[in-house]
Amino acid sequence: MDQQTVTELIALLEQIADNKLLLGDRLVEIGVSGPDLEATLGAIAMAQGELGHARLLYHWSFDLRGHTGKKPDVTEQTGKAFSTVLHISNWIELIANLYVASASADLVIKALLDSRRPEIVNRLQKLWREQQEHLLYSRGWLEQLLQDAGAIPTHTRQALADASQCGSEWLSSIEQQSRQLTAAGILSPTLNLAAPFQLQISQLLQAGQRATHVH
Amino acid sequence: MSAVQTRYEYDVFTRIKRGDDLVHIGTVAAPSDELAKVYAKAVYDEENWVEMCVVPRRHIKWVKQPEGLFEAEGGR
Repeated sequence: MDQQTVTELIALLEQIADNKLLLGDRLVEIGVSGPDLEATLGAIAMAQGELGHARLLYHWSFDLRGHTGKKPDVTEQTGKAFSTVLHISNWIELIANLYVASASADLVIKALLDSRRPEIVNRLQKLWREQQEHLLYSRGWLEQLLQDAGAIPTHTRQALADASQCGSEWLSSIEQQSRQLTAAGILSPTLNLAAPFQLQISQLLQAGQRATHVH
Repeated sequence: MSAVQTRYEYDVFTRIKRGDDLVHIGTVAAPSDELAKVYAKAVYDEENWVEMCVVPRRHIKWVKQPEGLFEAEGGR
């Protein structure tokens, strides 16, 4: 990979890692007083997962920069996290941002995995599989919140709209600006991220209006 | 959050090694099958299970159940 391609890849990885690092912290801080015991235990398990993923992605970016020896501990994001992730202050915002960050990262990681390059697949395959659980958890909770009583559905819709705007902007910027990654065959020239993401959000909002289904 | 959402009881079964028995290890309460699976994995993560499944308790068809020992429990 040439230097410009590496720079673009590092920016992608750090964006995902920054969100995961902050979410890992918020899942503990806010998730510990979740609405029920299972939700809290789930949030703590997700936090461990998010922090582990962030660590893996930061270490990969260090490797790409040619860092040798012991990797430094990362205690702060690199400044690329979604603004809504940065300002999570309650359960509704936590769940909305966990879903948006996971769903948008899921699309980007799938696009990277589609390159079938061993150096990428080996780093991301396990992370991508584990992330499916975070998607299920946050989606399940969003459906509940959207069907809840009082002001909760309205707050949830607002939190989801705010977070998904960040997600859409990020995905659109990847589609438009990842020229080197496309030229290197790491991302497809017909990359389509923002539209499937927006479709997922609208499907979620529709599902939230239906009664919770249990098979 | 409010109590509008119905939560269902799920029994959690695991197998520690191939060939071992599937063992009932506990329960979780969840509003959907998908969340029940996520919760079961998060709550009962203490072993490297080879298999884990959740069964909605309301789907269990009882063939025989113990009779209550006292009148208050339905006994005689």
